[in-house]
Amino acid sequence: MTPTRRTTLAAMVAALVMGTTALAGEITHDLGTTDVPDAPERVVVLEFSFIDALVSVGMAPVGIADDNKAERVMEVYGNVLGEDWTSVGTRKTPSLEVIASLQPDLIIADTTRHTDAYDTLSQIAPTIVLDSLGGDYHDSVAQMAVIGEAIGKPDAMTARIADHKTLMADYVAQIAPKVKDVAGQFGVTNATGLYLHSPTSYNGSLLEMFGFSSNMTPGEGGVYETNYVQTTLEQLSELDPDLLILGEYTDPSATDNWAGEPLWQALSAVKSGEVHYVTANNWSRLRGMVAAELTAADLLKIVDRDASGS
Amino acid sequence: MPAAVKRGALGSGRPVAAAFIFFALVCGAALSLATGGRSDVGLGTLWALIAGQGDEIARLPMATMLDLRLPRAAVAALLGVNLSLAGLILQAVTRNPLASPGILGINQGAALGLVAALAFPGAAGLALDGMAIAGALGAGAVTFAIAGGFSGRIDPVRMVLGGVAVGAFAYGAVRFAYTLEDELARSIVRWTVGDIGDMRWSDARPLALWSLGGGVMTFLLAHRLNMMSLGEVASRGLGADPRWTLLLGAVVATALAGVSVTVAGPIAFVGLVVPHVARALFGGDHRVLVPVSAGLGAALMLCADGLSKLLAAPAEVPVGLVAALIGAPYFLYLTMFSEALE
Repeated sequence: MTPTRRTTLAAMVAALVMGTTALAGEITHDLGTTDVPDAPERVVVLEFSFIDALVSVGMAPVGIADDNKAERVMEVYGNVLGEDWTSVGTRKTPSLEVIASLQPDLIIADTTRHTDAYDTLSQIAPTIVLDSLGGDYHDSVAQMAVIGEAIGKPDAMTARIADHKTLMADYVAQIAPKVKDVAGQFGVTNATGLYLHSPTSYNGSLLEMFGFSSNMTPGEGGVYETNYVQTTLEQLSELDPDLLILGEYTDPSATDNWAGEPLWQALSAVKSGEVHYVTANNWSRLRGMVAAELTAADLLKIVDRDASGS
Repeated sequence: MPAAVKRGALGSGRPVAAAFIFFALVCGAALSLATGGRSDVGLGTLWALIAGQGDEIARLPMATMLDLRLPRAAVAALLGVNLSLAGLILQAVTRNPLASPGILGINQGAALGLVAALAFPGAAGLALDGMAIAGALGAGAVTFAIAGGFSGRIDPVRMVLGGVAVGAFAYGAVRFAYTLEDELARSIVRWTVGDIGDMRWSDARPLALWSLGGGVMTFLLAHRLNMMSLGEVASRGLGADPRWTLLLGAVVATALAGVSVTVAGPIAFVGLVVPHVARALFGGDHRVLVPVSAGLGAALMLCADGLSKLLAAPAEVPVGLVAALIGAPYFLYLTMFSEALE
């Protein structure tokens, strides 16, 4: 072959090889692109919504950041997770030593919490970073597809997402007509305060999808200023949603302390008996497809209960 | 360098200065009462209430004003009084212009008590408030022990050092607790910079009792505090045993600071800055400084409370942060231009 033809052939082969490598395991995420092995078997996940993604295609991670409280994840995902996984600590500060000791071939981390640790995590294993804490429901579904590709099960994940969307569309069809012009609001309470989930948060966008309107105006700033807004009693009485869904992390919570007060009694939701309590962990922390389906079932029960007048 | 009992910048203009403090109090109160989550409750409601037209106000704005805003403003004012009196006493008895309620380690001890209560609910059997008080008292007791208080020979330098050590340890433990859990960190972080978001009359009442008692005690100590500023030897020569003054002063300051921190969390700058401002305006006589510091402290906290609701509306900034934002630049100005600190 002449030199030019050899070079051209070499270039074409190189392009072909690179092209196939790009198809095999290059995943684009919030902090760029990472080369991920084709079918990772040992996955460490640092947020609950990523567990949801793996579990919905029948895969169990080897390491989970479970805040040192396994019950938070076992209740909903226990049957797929089994007992063979290791806790890597809190989501806020997972233990890098434990993660490394598990010898993972893929790590899935959260943008808000783990961006600073990205470089170190990348040294342990290929790491992809997705916005679980700050993303809304639609972002979460898009992330499921990315995770499906990363773990080498894109087809199974696509099928699961399609099933999920059908199921959710079904719920929307049942719920939306009953909540026309109803301003719904979800919030979580602990001992010291009430945090409302704004329309840009996971639950806010989910409620919006189900047909609720929202009285909250979007804020500006970090995740805890835009998505999870600390609200005083005065601010809540000004907001005055028609339907209030609360998840309580402690008993008694801040809203229980407000129970006898005039401003609380005067809330539209309280006067019409539309204050409903749900499992805070499932609604607020999990943020995945399985969790969204549970949330939708809860919501249908709430809405049906009102419709039947009980 | 002991501050001699001398006339301050407005020494001859006392009525002017007194009027200034009164004006600051009124402005602060108005600012604090007119701002908040509900936009239909403002200066109009306040004016109607003062003018005796209470029945013309709708039920909810009335409830907001009486049940939420008035107690909150009262708590802010009383905190200002307590903390500035505590700071005044401590600066006099340790003869250290940088002394403040924070140096006794009480703030950090209360924070540790609260963290323990939140991290192990039900373990101690006390409510959150009780645990915070227990933490404050415990830290105060340890500082006292290090200062030699329990063996009778209390030393101001050892007290300051002991307080710093206790505070550092307690606060290290609190920060460690942040890493344990998301919700724990969120609950506590706001509290540790001083937060009076959810106050009712039941919170204001015990605070008022302590303010009154503490104010009276401080006024009775004022003469001794004047003696302390002349130095230990001169003080003893004039018949005021410095050890007794130190002990009594430290106990009153601990009580005032302890009760404040259990209600609202540690508020840093008020106890440090207000006595200096008072001294710059009125000189070094503690009999005058006691009411002046109390008034200025209340005014500062009321303004801070009002601003905390305005700065990042509709979100509320913790009041301790705002108080520091107001106090720090003024403190800087005083440091550079006042003779009172030389």
